[in-house]
Amino acid sequence: MMGFDPMVKRLLDGELSLAGLPPELRAEGEEALRLVGAANRAPVALSSALEQRVMAAVRSHAASPGNRAWRWLNTPREVELRLRVRPWTVWAGALAAAAGLALLLVGRPASGPGPGNEARGGTRDSVFVRFVLYAPGAHRVAVAGTFNQWDRSAALLVPAGTSGVWTTTLALPVGQHQYAFVVDGARWVVDPAAPAVDDGFGRRNSLVAVTAQGAHL
Amino acid sequence: MGFEGEATDAEVVRAVLAGDVERYAVLVRRYRDRYARYAARMLGSRDVAEDAVQDALVRAFDRLADCREPDKFAGWLFLILRNRCYAERRRPQRQERPLDSTDEMFASSDRPDGAYEQVERAQALERALQHLTPEQREVFVLKHMEGLAYEEIAGVTGATVASLKMRMHRAYDRLRELMKEHL
Amino acid sequence: MKTIGLALTLVLGSTLTGALTAQNVQARLDGRVSPEVQRAVRSIAADAEARGLPVDPLVQKAIEGAAKGVPADRVIAAVRALAGRLGEAREAVRAGGVAAPSGDVVEGGADALNAGISARQVSDLVRVSQPPEDPALTLRVAATLAALGVPPKQALELVQGMISAGRSPSDLLGLPGEVQAGVARGATPAQAAAGLARAAGGTPPGRIPDWVPPGQQKPRNPHKP
Repeated sequence: MMGFDPMVKRLLDGELSLAGLPPELRAEGEEALRLVGAANRAPVALSSALEQRVMAAVRSHAASPGNRAWRWLNTPREVELRLRVRPWTVWAGALAAAAGLALLLVGRPASGPGPGNEARGGTRDSVFVRFVLYAPGAHRVAVAGTFNQWDRSAALLVPAGTSGVWTTTLALPVGQHQYAFVVDGARWVVDPAAPAVDDGFGRRNSLVAVTAQGAHL
Repeated sequence: MGFEGEATDAEVVRAVLAGDVERYAVLVRRYRDRYARYAARMLGSRDVAEDAVQDALVRAFDRLADCREPDKFAGWLFLILRNRCYAERRRPQRQERPLDSTDEMFASSDRPDGAYEQVERAQALERALQHLTPEQREVFVLKHMEGLAYEEIAGVTGATVASLKMRMHRAYDRLRELMKEHL
Repeated sequence: MKTIGLALTLVLGSTLTGALTAQNVQARLDGRVSPEVQRAVRSIAADAEARGLPVDPLVQKAIEGAAKGVPADRVIAAVRALAGRLGEAREAVRAGGVAAPSGDVVEGGADALNAGISARQVSDLVRVSQPPEDPALTLRVAATLAALGVPPKQALELVQGMISAGRSPSDLLGLPGEVQAGVARGATPAQAAAGLARAAGGTPPGRIPDWVPPGQQKPRNPHKP
């Protein structure tokens, strides 16, 4: 079936009136107007429980240990803070494989790097990077990468509340890093929100670039 | 904007960021239904749209520190919802949802008495919309349901007016084909 | 003449530092990899060192393989392949006009090759990265874009476009995030990159629209708490 005449399309776009169409196109114009006239403009009402569900989630996010850092970020600090959050892919959470996203921030570490962390140089060369993994059902989650010699026990994540979210914050030295999450000591999982490269062993590693301006994909 | 004594979006956003988390409920109430129609048409089902709106509102809270212009919270929330709708497209299990579930969306609309063909046509259009590409569906929904001008749609989607018209015109043709028995 | 002089310096220099590097490599591998892997990697590293290539990535790769439980022969093969890539990368960077590249730039080149960017394209990227641009950063961004699925040719066009539009290194670093944002909106990586390339000269993407749907200018009256 042929498409609408270009003039009829302009009618639909609101650039012409029906009377402005040549007589031979009037019938087609009326047909077209019936088509768009069928658009249901009735407002759609969502369930009244939606507000409760949203606020329940909001309260839980605000209260979780990881989010104390979120609150801290919103109070004025002397250090310039730039917060970059990646597009979120946690909604693939129906899958058994864990989805991850990293919350990245710039700041002067209040204390030195954590145990097991081999950050090079002084605090001037380190940037806080927070790793967050959605892995409900996991018993142990770690992040291993070039910044900690791929040690599976050096950087354990802790559960944030009961939502299945695991998190940790590490001071990473400036530079390009490769990493992956290790779930239950044995399963290596890339961060689906990060670019991934071939690791040379048939798997993939996630990338994060740390500069003085902050951490980036 | 709004009623006397009602806090503006910017005031509420700043209060929430200062730690008054419960104030976020004001924004939830204000916006829960505003974009429901858009989400429902983009996703083809009210249930799925509700999930999307819920997720977007929670997400907007999580990212509230990123909202650089708190008085433009509405537009910013819409962008989050829009991303969420596009992300929804890639969930495999959603594609199995039967399309006649869109019939539920008509429960609340006004049906002129005896206009059986009109109702049929409206349902046919709903089903046909789901066969368009997301970009085509979006420009159709924003123009013919939300009533935006092409320039406004361009501002929201980042596409040029020319490319939007191209998409729309393809959508018109495709819809004509899909709905030929009803027109 | 100059080349011979350079080669001599390298050989002489490496004799001195070679011993240090070998010790360092052993110290880092001890207890982390099997003796077989350690022997092989020390040899590959010594060779790389003599050729003036960075050794650290080789050691990292060996440790990574061991941590992941990969069999010794595969670890050794991967380390050898990486050494080859580092060499190829250095040649490509030199061809791009940097005669004595730092370890960072060579590693960046190797990452780019690993992500599917050709040696020729690496040279091109280095060539456009005149100061204040940093070729290591340019290569890293291009490699990351390719890792996100942007076809190499488009990754290059995007990066080159940003540089010629005078955009800052921060803007370059933000490119992968912007591409991913475009993908979340339903574009392919190539489309997202093309969109960014078009916008490279204009305002940064992600501008918040000032939009309220007509007919809903007033917010809904919230229920009284």
